[in-house]
Amino acid sequence: MLTTRREFLRNSALASTLLLVPKFLHALDRGPGLAQLRDAVGARRLIVVQLSGGNDGLNTVIPYKNDLYYKARPTLGIKETEGILDMDKDLGLHPALKGLKGLYDQGELAVLNAVGYPNPDRSHFRSMDIWQSGSGSDQVVSTGWLGRYLDSNCPDCQRPYNALEIDDTLSLAMKGARRKGLALKTPDKFHQITQNRLLSKVSKEAAPQHQDQVDYLYKTLAETASSADYLYDKSKIYKSSVTYPNSDFGKNLKTTAELINSGVESRVYYLALSGFDTHVRQHEQQQRLFTDLGNGLAALADDLRQHDQWNNTLVLVFSEFGRRVGQNASNGTDHGTANNLFLAGGALQKKGVLNDAPDLANLDQGDLRHQVDFRSIYASVLKDWLGADDTAILGTGFERLPGLV
Amino acid sequence: MNSAQQLQHLYWRAGFGPRPQDVAASLSPRKALRQLLNDSEKYEPLVGPALNYTDPQGMAMTDPASIKTNPVPNGMVTTPDQPAPPGAPTAPVATMRPRAVFRGGTIAAGVPRLRRAALTPEQRKMQNAGIRDAFNNMSTAWMERMATSPAQLREKMVLFWHGHFACRVRQPDAALSLHNAMRQHALGKFPDLLLAVSQEPAMLQFLNNQQNRKEHPNENFAREVMELFTLGRGNYSENDVKEAARAFTGWGYDYQNRFKFREREHDAGPKTFLGKTGNLTGEDVLTHLMAQPAAATFLVTKIYRFFVNEVPNPAHIEPLAVAFRKSGYDLADLMERLFSADWFYEPANVGTHIKSPVELLAGIRRTLNVKVDNSQPLLGYQRALGQNLFQPPNVAGWPGGRNWIDSSSLLLRLQLPAILFKNAEFAVALKQDDNDIAPNLSKAERTVRPGAGAHLPLAPLQQLLGATPAAQQPEKLSAFLLQASIRPENLQLVQQAAAQKEPAEALRATLVSLLSLPEYQLA
Repeated sequence: MLTTRREFLRNSALASTLLLVPKFLHALDRGPGLAQLRDAVGARRLIVVQLSGGNDGLNTVIPYKNDLYYKARPTLGIKETEGILDMDKDLGLHPALKGLKGLYDQGELAVLNAVGYPNPDRSHFRSMDIWQSGSGSDQVVSTGWLGRYLDSNCPDCQRPYNALEIDDTLSLAMKGARRKGLALKTPDKFHQITQNRLLSKVSKEAAPQHQDQVDYLYKTLAETASSADYLYDKSKIYKSSVTYPNSDFGKNLKTTAELINSGVESRVYYLALSGFDTHVRQHEQQQRLFTDLGNGLAALADDLRQHDQWNNTLVLVFSEFGRRVGQNASNGTDHGTANNLFLAGGALQKKGVLNDAPDLANLDQGDLRHQVDFRSIYASVLKDWLGADDTAILGTGFERLPGLV
Repeated sequence: MNSAQQLQHLYWRAGFGPRPQDVAASLSPRKALRQLLNDSEKYEPLVGPALNYTDPQGMAMTDPASIKTNPVPNGMVTTPDQPAPPGAPTAPVATMRPRAVFRGGTIAAGVPRLRRAALTPEQRKMQNAGIRDAFNNMSTAWMERMATSPAQLREKMVLFWHGHFACRVRQPDAALSLHNAMRQHALGKFPDLLLAVSQEPAMLQFLNNQQNRKEHPNENFAREVMELFTLGRGNYSENDVKEAARAFTGWGYDYQNRFKFREREHDAGPKTFLGKTGNLTGEDVLTHLMAQPAAATFLVTKIYRFFVNEVPNPAHIEPLAVAFRKSGYDLADLMERLFSADWFYEPANVGTHIKSPVELLAGIRRTLNVKVDNSQPLLGYQRALGQNLFQPPNVAGWPGGRNWIDSSSLLLRLQLPAILFKNAEFAVALKQDDNDIAPNLSKAERTVRPGAGAHLPLAPLQQLLGATPAAQQPEKLSAFLLQASIRPENLQLVQQAAAQKEPAEALRATLVSLLSLPEYQLA
């Protein structure tokens, strides 16, 4: 019997009166952990969406009133007549990003232009490494920025499921020196793996207290198995009826919403949408990916809003680099530098287009110059949204953007 | 610790684990070490037609050394799928960017050797596929060596150097040449290894010495040669980096991928490097680095952490470093000393090393004489576990130790034996950003599925078991497969798993259970 938690609450409310609903249902309404999470000062949830492959930011947030844009992209530039979704500062969203435009219109989207880092690296792998570790391009760091957040003594980060990646394997971003997040495709699949006969028995064995490698393995295994149990049980509470795109990304977003609305005590969610390496035939690819992205995020917002979870959620959307300003000979774009970054959520402090469009008249050898260091945004999110010690996690030198989140 | 346990420890650390036949031979650890050294003496390059990338278009190679005929625009680090845009501005070399930009870049950084701009999308796709195949074949050929070669110590040393001289380039031939340079000198004199590696086109490209010219030095290689290859931080100054960079000006490679000293690009003026002044050449700098006592300590510490214990013990390391220096940095001599030291066999150092994905997979294959029909899925699992040979995460190589273990990697590791030997249902999708060679693969293309066709021959194990009664077999096999003694509750689980099977299948079930224990992750 599958009753959604919402229906359950509605029926309960109808059956009695709201005042008469037993206390435990009030608790259930928010989930015991989340009640705590929301009430704690600055305790909120972050969803990171990674656009893998280097999304072309100029055809995402389009400077459609700038001749230089069309000059650099005679056939690839998106024309106003194609249905550009108008925003502030003479910028417009790609026609396929209707979902994001909806959030923008509701004041639930913030756009940051020309985000990047000094001496940009145009290798997918290396640049993603830089974004995920939160390092400079001249540094090598083997932990991720969210992993170090887990390491940073935050009270809601003790358990592996406090940071979830919706995927088969865990990204560097989620790996700290002492603590790591947990990767799962769905709670069911994850739970099923731990139900292997031998594994389930071994995982219940205690680790001897020597703090050595074998302890570490047993401890990790035990935490994994108990997290799988927790997530499996918890996720049964709520099954979403919202329509998500019928794609891998859509399914992952749905899983995320179900976990959140079920009251899973996770501070961080990490998801990826891949396929943005658009050297050829960019039009078709972006059209498809953006439909997924926009509709997916709009559905997520809907789903969370229905359960009062959208106000304490912040979504951060980034890509490892943008593309070159000029189009190439194959109706695509090649690897570039700075890019736009989106923030979305029900309680954004700053809304709309937050800074000027990238300066197309002042390029660095055909590439955009960055205006905002991505680590300044990380610092703001860590400190002002998650209530963490940003300098301990990122090092010094990254000014927070006041009032961003 | 008895002699058999010592022997197994040695085989795991100096190679990829003991085979039943190695245990049956029951050599003394001293004799086994001798034999490992003897068997590893000969250098056999990794070669074969499948390892070479052949250009399907038969395109002319361009000369990367000639900036005039093949301009590399500034600000454009050419990445795999990125052709130079038509009419891209040609920047003077003066504005080539500093080390910071390139550190960790890919093979194509700055040097489009193949005329990718002229390719159609289909040709480019074909080229990517060819490059990917060559790298895959290189990885599987090397894994095959690790699993089967008698030169176990050399194979293990090459794996160590592969992480020490971490390099990530797009051209398979350059990567293979670097690999073979390390293979050749893996157990020779370190200064020879250092010089060979430093003059490999892959390394010169990866660390941007191709862009290091008299008027506009690029410090990337000079910095890494000190920070990562020889001395470690704190043993040189920023000025030493600058002066060394000047000494390496002119070190590059030609269109045939051979080291080339471009004299006109070399700064022949006087330099002062680590207290030594003169018209130093690149070779002089390397020689002078080897004269620093810090070099021996740094190198031995790194070797100790890989082969003995992640936590360095200065009392063990210092005497080794002194002897290492005295021997002219003789690596075979160093390894012999290390593996003969009493402390090497102390319990604190046994069964405490978390196997890297490569060690785990090569180890399963070697210790059980496994035959594999198709190594591609194995390669996929290796990647899913975080170790893609020839594609280290960055200039510092794989961090190792507990970095290998998170919830999902541990679950996959523990499931791996079942996947291999029972073709258990288990698909895992690799991440899109796992590589630069083919970044836009579909999810189906990125998904690894079972199907390696791994064969587990039981005869060698039955020989090892001899007349051991069935009830005692799990314990005997656990002593062979695990470096730690098995927990009673686990032994019981393994016995139960075997008891449910037909006698013919019991042995196989026992093995799969033992390989699936957390303890098997350790060597």
